[in-house]
Amino acid sequence: MLKSTHKSVAPPPLPEGWTEHKAPTGHSYYYNAATKQSTYTRPNPPPAASILQSTPFDPSQSFLQYQTIGSPKPSAGVTSDRFPLQSHLQGRGAFHGQKAGRGGHYGSRNTRAQPTDKPISRHPIPGCEPWVLVHTKLGRRFVYNSQKDESFWRIPDKLKEGILALDQLRIKEKAKAQQIPTEPTPATIAPSAIDQLDKAGRGDEKIGDGELDSSEYEEVEVTDDEGEDDENPPKRQRTGDDAQDEQSEPVEFNEDDIAYQLAAMGEEYGLDPGEYDDGNMDEWKEGVGGLELTEEDSIALFKDLLNDSGVNPYSPWEKIVEEGKLVDDTRYTTLTTMKARKETWDEWSRDKIKQLRALRAKEEKKDPRIPYLTFLQNHATPKLYWPEFKRKFKKEPEMRDSSLADKDREKFYREHISRLKLPQSSLKADLIALLQAQPLSALNNATIASHLPPAVLSDIRYISLASDTRDMVIESHIQSLPPPPGSTEEEDSEEAAKARMDKLRRQKALEDRERKVAEEKRRQQRHLEFGKGRLREEEAEIARAMNVTKKGLRDHLVEADSTEKATENPHDG
Amino acid sequence: MPAIRHASKRKAPPAGFSDIEDDLLVFSNKMKDAENASSDNVPRHQVLWPIFQISHQRSRYVYDLYYEKEAISKELYDWLLKNGYADAMLIAKWKKTGYEKLCCLKCVQTKETNFNSTCICRVPKAQMKEDQVVECVSCGCRGCASSD
Repeated sequence: MLKSTHKSVAPPPLPEGWTEHKAPTGHSYYYNAATKQSTYTRPNPPPAASILQSTPFDPSQSFLQYQTIGSPKPSAGVTSDRFPLQSHLQGRGAFHGQKAGRGGHYGSRNTRAQPTDKPISRHPIPGCEPWVLVHTKLGRRFVYNSQKDESFWRIPDKLKEGILALDQLRIKEKAKAQQIPTEPTPATIAPSAIDQLDKAGRGDEKIGDGELDSSEYEEVEVTDDEGEDDENPPKRQRTGDDAQDEQSEPVEFNEDDIAYQLAAMGEEYGLDPGEYDDGNMDEWKEGVGGLELTEEDSIALFKDLLNDSGVNPYSPWEKIVEEGKLVDDTRYTTLTTMKARKETWDEWSRDKIKQLRALRAKEEKKDPRIPYLTFLQNHATPKLYWPEFKRKFKKEPEMRDSSLADKDREKFYREHISRLKLPQSSLKADLIALLQAQPLSALNNATIASHLPPAVLSDIRYISLASDTRDMVIESHIQSLPPPPGSTEEEDSEEAAKARMDKLRRQKALEDRERKVAEEKRRQQRHLEFGKGRLREEEAEIARAMNVTKKGLRDHLVEADSTEKATENPHDG
Repeated sequence: MPAIRHASKRKAPPAGFSDIEDDLLVFSNKMKDAENASSDNVPRHQVLWPIFQISHQRSRYVYDLYYEKEAISKELYDWLLKNGYADAMLIAKWKKTGYEKLCCLKCVQTKETNFNSTCICRVPKAQMKEDQVVECVSCGCRGCASSD
């Protein structure tokens, strides 16, 4: 970054014992290994020369955080950032001011970033318990050991695994939440963008290109001052040395790479896609995860759900979906597509409606005369003529029921009134005649007095007697009757029991499947860990191999030298 | 002065109406909302789209109940048609091959178009260009060819 300005002024030498480092943000800071002191202010600064010297930021350096362990604590709160010239800042500020979102931190970091950066979220790193991964407001992250109260920008090697797992988890969640395309890797954009920024920084405030947004600091490639010799590097800055450096370092693999590698390895080993997680579960073939739910079972489960949720089979499917009653149930997921669900719904509703109709046909039609006759028994008196009675009770539902004609109402009323004038004994005889006329299947000694057959209830002779005397007559008559002929209810109950058994079996299958899936997930996790381990080994091997081929033997010869240098320029070794 | 028709004097709807009454009420409420929704900031040709769509949905509902699920009686179906719960003309089209999903009658009125053709929504998806999304002008249909 800003190589021209950077190079033009040589940094003044540091005092004895101090070393210069770069924070992931690009700040230079200084560390004294002897006193274990770190500071942003350059120790013992010579008067004016160093203002331009400290590169204001270089996000590309951030990958270094994976390089060395035990870097000093980040002190994001330090206010004395020795940031470049004011005019320079204005230009940058304007340039970055237009941008929002992820890239926003880039610009703000430039102007007065440091004091405003603060942790926004922390995640415990799985497997390395006291350590947590802290994300800051500006999109940086560092690890923090809550027990020892230590924190590092550079992530120690032992934590990498956990952080990788964490990343993977996060990305998966993100992908699940919405199918966002993975962000373009800025490797190709970054150099040119940085170049542009170079010019922009030197020039004035009229640069509109905001490509830098896309460069998340961890992915930006290296622009290393040691690697470049000329003042004006070409557009593409990956000069030989540079690329070499990059390859020799443990590159951070992103999730796509890992997923791809895992898939490749899985195929190599002849594993099912279910045994390693290839990220797109819905593409798995049926039965990959050891499922035992058949197609019919899942349909039946969905139908069970429909039965249990008590939805109206007459409703349109869209209304059911809109209400969202079904979605919460796990059985909803047994069918994976909306089309299948709709088909099942159609089938279910058709059957259900048929059932309902059969049921309705089976049960006796509710005779509209029955409530009217009860009403008559309660309210009719010989003192009222029909028109008076009608006017008095015109608001009552029994009088307004459209299924009974007005003429019939009048007829019943008149008949009832005339019968009220008859002697009790003839009324009783009439009632007994009515009861005796009923067949044994309708009226027998198992009949409850409150549930008489409708043929009795809808007869005018039933209401003629006062209710208490009538009930006594009916009860004595029922007791004198023989028991009912053999019923067909047993078959029904057998069928019901069978249906219940079936339902139980399906429920059990679903539970089994869920348990299986959980187990499968655990196994995948283990495989993933294993694969990652292998991957890392291979990576290290490759890195070693690359080292030899590119740098040749010289590297090995000056090994001692490089280790010495490593403290100063850790990314070089 | 026309005769006043009281609710109490009106003939009761055929049996089975109570089953679907609630859902029809939902549709009529939706229709009322669509009718009363403000049409400011809506392009002129789009103003009637919701009306067409709700009417289509309701007709399809009645059609499905009678022809697909056989859930309502002929008597009730006729009563529904007579009382404007479904569009009989549209349903008549749905019974014909190739018109099973027709969105509205306007879309098959060839005489109303410049080249005596049907609406764009009648064109099967397979014959359209890739990723071409259409909403027909008359009712906002996104494609109602039978093969879709």
